[in-house]
Amino acid sequence: MDRSIPVWVAAALALVVLMALPLGWIGWVSVSSESGPTLAHYATVFQDPQLQKALWNTVVMAFWVGLASVALGAPMAWLTARTDLPGQTLIRGLIMASFVTPPFLGAFAWVMLAGPNAGLLNKLYRNLSGADDALVNIFTMPGLIFVVAIYTFPYVYIMIANTLALIASDLEEAAAILGAGRLRVAATVTLPMVAPAILSGFILAVLQALALFGSPAILALPAGFHTITTQIWSFFHYPPKVEMAAAFSIPLLLATALLLQVQKRLLGRRGYASIGGKGGRRRAIPLGLWRYPALGGCLALLACAIFLPYGVLAKAALSRAWAQPLTWDNLTLANFTFTFFEYSATQSAVLNTLELGVMTATVGAGLAALLAYVTNRRLIIGHQVLAFLALAPIVIPGVVLAVGLFIAYTRPPLLLYGTLWILFVAYVTKEMPVGYSQADATFKGVHPELEDAGRILGAGRLRVLGEITAPLARSGIIATWCFIFIGVIRELSASIILFTPATKVISVVIFDLKEEGQFGPIAVLGLFMLAMTFGTVVLMQRVLGRDFMGAKE
Amino acid sequence: MPGVIVKELTKRYGEVAAVEGLSLEVKPRELVALLGPSGCGKTTTLRVVAGFLRPEAGEIWVGDRCLSSPSAVVPPERRRMAMIFQSYALWPHMTVAQNVAYGLRFKQEVSRAERERRVREILKVVHLEGFESRYPGELSGGQQQRVAVARSLVVEPEILLLDEPLSNLDANLREEMRFEIRRLHEAFGITTLYVTHDQAEAMVISDRIAVLYRGRLVQIGTAHQLFEQPRTRFVADFIGKTNLIDGVAAAPDRVARGGLSLRVASASLKPGAAVTVSIRPHEIALAPASSPRTPGEGVNVLRGTVQRTSYLGDAIDYQVQVDGSDVVLRVAGPPPAAVRAGQEVTLTLPAAACVPLTDSD
Repeated sequence: MDRSIPVWVAAALALVVLMALPLGWIGWVSVSSESGPTLAHYATVFQDPQLQKALWNTVVMAFWVGLASVALGAPMAWLTARTDLPGQTLIRGLIMASFVTPPFLGAFAWVMLAGPNAGLLNKLYRNLSGADDALVNIFTMPGLIFVVAIYTFPYVYIMIANTLALIASDLEEAAAILGAGRLRVAATVTLPMVAPAILSGFILAVLQALALFGSPAILALPAGFHTITTQIWSFFHYPPKVEMAAAFSIPLLLATALLLQVQKRLLGRRGYASIGGKGGRRRAIPLGLWRYPALGGCLALLACAIFLPYGVLAKAALSRAWAQPLTWDNLTLANFTFTFFEYSATQSAVLNTLELGVMTATVGAGLAALLAYVTNRRLIIGHQVLAFLALAPIVIPGVVLAVGLFIAYTRPPLLLYGTLWILFVAYVTKEMPVGYSQADATFKGVHPELEDAGRILGAGRLRVLGEITAPLARSGIIATWCFIFIGVIRELSASIILFTPATKVISVVIFDLKEEGQFGPIAVLGLFMLAMTFGTVVLMQRVLGRDFMGAKE
Repeated sequence: MPGVIVKELTKRYGEVAAVEGLSLEVKPRELVALLGPSGCGKTTTLRVVAGFLRPEAGEIWVGDRCLSSPSAVVPPERRRMAMIFQSYALWPHMTVAQNVAYGLRFKQEVSRAERERRVREILKVVHLEGFESRYPGELSGGQQQRVAVARSLVVEPEILLLDEPLSNLDANLREEMRFEIRRLHEAFGITTLYVTHDQAEAMVISDRIAVLYRGRLVQIGTAHQLFEQPRTRFVADFIGKTNLIDGVAAAPDRVARGGLSLRVASASLKPGAAVTVSIRPHEIALAPASSPRTPGEGVNVLRGTVQRTSYLGDAIDYQVQVDGSDVVLRVAGPPPAAVRAGQEVTLTLPAAACVPLTDSD
């Protein structure tokens, strides 16, 4: 009997419980009532015109976000991967920054920038033109789409840039030597090869938009409309209508599952995009006169995603009245002292966030590593199921997961609601796909013969795991830890449903402050969150020795 | 020093049998090569012997210990074996000395000082003195190979397993390492199973060669036996170059194909049975048709036309169309070329060199 087997089985069981409980409860509660099984909740949910409107709003928003993300991400991917565009390192760095910026912080920043009355851009416009109207109003559907898209396009960018990096110039030159002109080469060779990446990037962006809670809550609610996620959240307002939330979660769950299936199909056939990718040199296409206009375009977009929002957050953090010009009179550190020492909720929220971040990242990375090891080395029967389960939470939007966990853990035997544990469980579940993919890639890089060599020379499996595999996988696992940590400290959509006054986290406090209209402290906490995020990113890049979006420098 | 006995081994991956009913005996101190094309089951066999895979049927015995059976598999770490891998599998985070010393750490009877002494000694044997504190990434391919060899030999295993250990080396180094491995085998006398797809490598290194094809053992013997007396079409074709002529037994010692009739090195064929005849190119003598010939006993004499000659440096390769037949024979002759393309020639085939193959494979 192999002594290591209990370890693998325990990890597998933990995963199954983690996944099965919340989803099972959602399904069950959505069809149950005091008088037995029923479809009444579904009927109520889908016949209510207001809820139908929320569904439709979500579809509209997600679709346009997907389209806008492709329109922004694809050209930038081509420019940075294949041309002699100047400042590529800077641009990649900024795209990465926009990738890790919590979207709800961006939304806050844009409220300060483009709110119809006090928004700085509108004030500037009024000063310059003398008009009385606002130039832009962020509290609209197009405003919401814009703010979501500028933080979602990096998903498309990464997907396409990594695919383009695999296409050797030879493939294009082969077409050129046969007589195809530059446009023809692009249309007949390059584009078809990246088409699957573009489509699946579109789907990825749509998925992100579907699952988002923060930005719609900040921008759509004041504008007077709901999306699915904000609607589910409002079902939890007193008195909570859990069964409605469950019934309303199911279509969101099905939509994500369906889209992911489509994306998997597309990527499954991606193989041909990388044929001949190894070793093939890539030559930069000269942009000529277009170099600087192209750079200007990229920077303008990144100004919307990074410079302007970060700038306005910094300004708000340092000023007494955020909407007033930053003069000596207006300058203050009072927001910092208020936020960290006077506002009652902050200190415990910071502690909670750090505690949850470290705990989730440690347990999550450990569990992900064990599971990835089991599936890579095929240690137990049913290892394929484990891989599926570990990746399954991708289809569960944070809000839906929270509904499931709320139902599952507000009743015996596991009364976790009201403790940090329920958030911990939510985060571990939500971050499992990211952690698992990272750990999986890590173990794929450790040749199994390295372990076999240890075995045949006399070391048992656990010993080999400790002495050979672990040191070789270390940097990959640390990176996994960082990925999970970043995901946890910015988490809002599950936390907003599962928190209780004693278990607030930073993102929830920011959300509360918004209700009170406290922009200065929001900015302080936002910057604090960004600092933690970027600190972790830097650490991770040093460990990995590469840009974490996938490309080697 | 025990030997290895593989009994009726079967290993399946799903529905596909990678190895089927394979039996094999490696005698004590013998080096047997498992030779075959990719997918023939040789590596699978080796990995079952090593204990990494559980067989569906059959047993692995070393001396009086049954190490593998469908019901019980002794884990690799308790088999007293060592293995050299195709990728070398040197641990990149350990120095050469740490790599080599690894297996000794699990031997209680070896003290720390003794361990260090043995590591130094074995590194001397593989000509790597002074490399103790290097990391594998700092070594050349050949040096890495030597570390892998040292790491396996230092534990004084009962059985040594090698999985295509030379396939990652360039041609010159590969040839050098063949002799090196043979030298080490003769010095240490460890019972060894050696997997390779390279017939020349198998012939240089091994005492006996087991030819595997589609998961089955087709023939086992010394290099000489396999070359001179292949039992199947596959063996004849895989070991060295050969001409294969499919025909029918016309008499106990005669095989016919169309207008062609050959005396073969057997007197027990069943007339009417399908027989393939194998003739090595260098066994055939070629002369211009005009030169005087002296047909003797036990010799087949054929006439033909040279279709093409190729100059190979140390030999000339002729393609000869046999008159009145669809058979084209490859003939190897010493340079300079005796004839040019288009010329009529006489071919002399000793009956003893015409090996009849009756197995279907």
